[in-house]
Amino acid sequence: MPSVDLPFGLPEVDYAEYSNRQLVAVPLAVLAVALLIIGGVWLTTGAPVDPGMEFTGGTEMRLQVDGPNAEQQIREAFTAEPAGIQPVAGSDIYIVSFGTEANSEQLESQAEDAGFGVESIDSTSPSFGSEAQTQAIGGIAVAFAGMSVLVFAMFRTFVPSIAVVVSAFSDVVVPLALMNVLGIQLTLGSVAALLMIIGYSVDSDILLNNHVLRRQGSFYESAYRAMETGITMTLTSIAAMIVMTIVATAFGIGLLSSIGLILVFGLATDLLNTYMLNMSLLRWWKFEGVNR
Amino acid sequence: MADEGGTWASVKENWRVVLLVVIVLASVFALFSPTTAPSTNTPGSTANGTAADTGMTNLQYGLELSGGTRIQAPLVGVHATGVDVPEGTETATLRSEVAAGLENASAQDVAVRYPGEYGDTVQQTTVVEVRTENVTAAQLETALNEAGYEADDTYNRVSDITQQTAVTVLRQKVNEAGLSGGTVRVVGGDVIVVEVPNANQTAVRDLIESRGQVLIQAYHQNENGTYVRTTVMDSEDLRQVGNARQIEGGQGAEVGVVVRDDAAEDVQQRFVDTGLAQEGGTDRCDPENPNESAPCLFLVQDGQVVRSFGVDEGLARPMRNGEWADDPQYRLTTGNLSTAQEVAINLRAGALPTELDLDQNSMLYVDPSQSDRFKTDSLIAGIAAVLAVSGVVFARYRRVEVAGPMIVTALSEVVILMGAAAAIGYPIDLSVIAGFVAAIGTGVDDLIIIADEVMSEGEVTSQRVFQSRFRKAFWVIGAAAATTISRCRRWRCSRSASSAGSRSSPSSACSSGCW
Repeated sequence: MPSVDLPFGLPEVDYAEYSNRQLVAVPLAVLAVALLIIGGVWLTTGAPVDPGMEFTGGTEMRLQVDGPNAEQQIREAFTAEPAGIQPVAGSDIYIVSFGTEANSEQLESQAEDAGFGVESIDSTSPSFGSEAQTQAIGGIAVAFAGMSVLVFAMFRTFVPSIAVVVSAFSDVVVPLALMNVLGIQLTLGSVAALLMIIGYSVDSDILLNNHVLRRQGSFYESAYRAMETGITMTLTSIAAMIVMTIVATAFGIGLLSSIGLILVFGLATDLLNTYMLNMSLLRWWKFEGVNR
Repeated sequence: MADEGGTWASVKENWRVVLLVVIVLASVFALFSPTTAPSTNTPGSTANGTAADTGMTNLQYGLELSGGTRIQAPLVGVHATGVDVPEGTETATLRSEVAAGLENASAQDVAVRYPGEYGDTVQQTTVVEVRTENVTAAQLETALNEAGYEADDTYNRVSDITQQTAVTVLRQKVNEAGLSGGTVRVVGGDVIVVEVPNANQTAVRDLIESRGQVLIQAYHQNENGTYVRTTVMDSEDLRQVGNARQIEGGQGAEVGVVVRDDAAEDVQQRFVDTGLAQEGGTDRCDPENPNESAPCLFLVQDGQVVRSFGVDEGLARPMRNGEWADDPQYRLTTGNLSTAQEVAINLRAGALPTELDLDQNSMLYVDPSQSDRFKTDSLIAGIAAVLAVSGVVFARYRRVEVAGPMIVTALSEVVILMGAAAAIGYPIDLSVIAGFVAAIGTGVDDLIIIADEVMSEGEVTSQRVFQSRFRKAFWVIGAAAATTISRCRRWRCSRSASSAGSRSSPSSACSSGCW
């Protein structure tokens, strides 16, 4: 075995010990479970993932509330029942959300009557939101198709190309399933994150494919070298996104926290897919598939 | 970026580093130079140091980071194109026939526009538009068929010309209201976006909901002999404001207006009562010194006399004997076409062709204090992310001379992006900040590939070996970047309709995420 140390003192995996079937089983099982979850949710609710306020309509306000018992004050101030009240760390600001039945003008005047400082109002009507949803799903589909075409054009061999595309597919699907499991709603930020996952995912897959397909040296040597680089790449991004998610959540910047969280899910899935699914598909292709 | 010289010392002619330094310096210049500062100063906060710092740059901020109101809504209405209207059909007949077939519309809601040139747009076929809620394109098609007019196509939106007029009117309204920096644009084909910095929800709603303040007033003597102004009609009395056109075979230009049927009698009575429709008609008068030729008509906008008109005998006579109200058309005549166009716009500014569908909208209001907080908080989130990336890179390479330059290079990428944004005045929003953070992440990715390539096979002894490995590394980067760009280009096309954040500057296409 080549003596390449994985970064960050990660234990070295001896791929030669495992069969392709064993390696592929794990990511495929994860993908299957994810698809089952999404399918089940889709059948029961009519949407693959719980759409958030931007897609279903509703109002979200940031209110500056003085005095004790802020939650109590907020509940008393509005005739509509708030769907959620969330404090922003280190301030007297609360993010209060309402369903579609509340009118944003009425909410604003009620907040002002109660003496709250209205810091922001974000309101979407249901019909406007459903259009945004269609466009968001269309955007992801088109981006995915564009990526697939380019990957196939670049490698011109079926197995390495499909390995990249399947990995990317799984990288998008698994975070969606996780959102369902953890009860996270889809926002415009998470749609943007899903798009970015397509790009990030392809990055590490292409790196691995290139090392294996275009370099001298044994399969394992190339693969380990690609792993060394690729894992560092993914971990830097995961670190950046974890930190951004934590800070943005504390400050209540929903857009940044949902982008960060979904990217963390996607990048973690990408580690699994690249170094188990893609790796074993490549190995199969290199040692067996080529001769066919 | 002088410390980069250490790492790349083995490269004799390191023009790449020089180029990077030059670009970074140019970006810093674009960011901070007062000579390139935008004319509209961004409202920077002085409440705390961080926000004040960002106020010193030339960066333009979007709504979330500068405060203000954005309302997005489509226009109310559906339309049919290529309507086959037989020669000699009265427009009024057509309108009432179509309205008869529609449960939720009256003749007033139906507009007919014949082929011709409207502003910059040439309309090839006859368009029938219904400008009221609760009418679908399918219902319009049925109504047209029932009335015996075949249409080529029907659409669940207003026609392009109506939309253009609405945008023009809204722009004018936003400008007239003195809301500086307000913009009106169309996204996704049919959604109007009105964005006004430093205005609250109510102000913007009132502005785009209100019918404007255009009045046509009579300047005349009352019973006591004092000169007063009496409003004879305003934009609410008008059913239709025509396009300005040159008078055929004559001098000057005119704008035709049609008074609403239910207001015509009253308008006519006011013309008579104020003496405008007196025997022999009246002349226009000098707005500076109107007493001499009063009574006359004033076109008044927000309390200001814009123009003066007279009423000639040909119009005054039917008004006196009550015939005018049966066909209440009025022509505002002016000296030249451009004035007539101005008058037409002035009148229409109060009479949007159709309303914004505020039941189907998306509204965002951000208070200036909140936007300052967003600025500070997102800056902290960004810096925290940079520190995290730096930590991981140092942990991986454990050598300052490798990791240090990588982080500096990745940061310089963000400086270049910000410089480009400042130079072209691209507004920074929360989504763009997320893009900057992503830029640091992907920028470091490329550097990790290069570093690993260069260090992989022991020491790099000669420049040629270095360059060949460097090139090999670039194949990887190029391939990954190409997929990113293709993703961006497609997403850009498809996202034009979406309200999902904003794009990053063009120069950031490959590395920063592209939205």
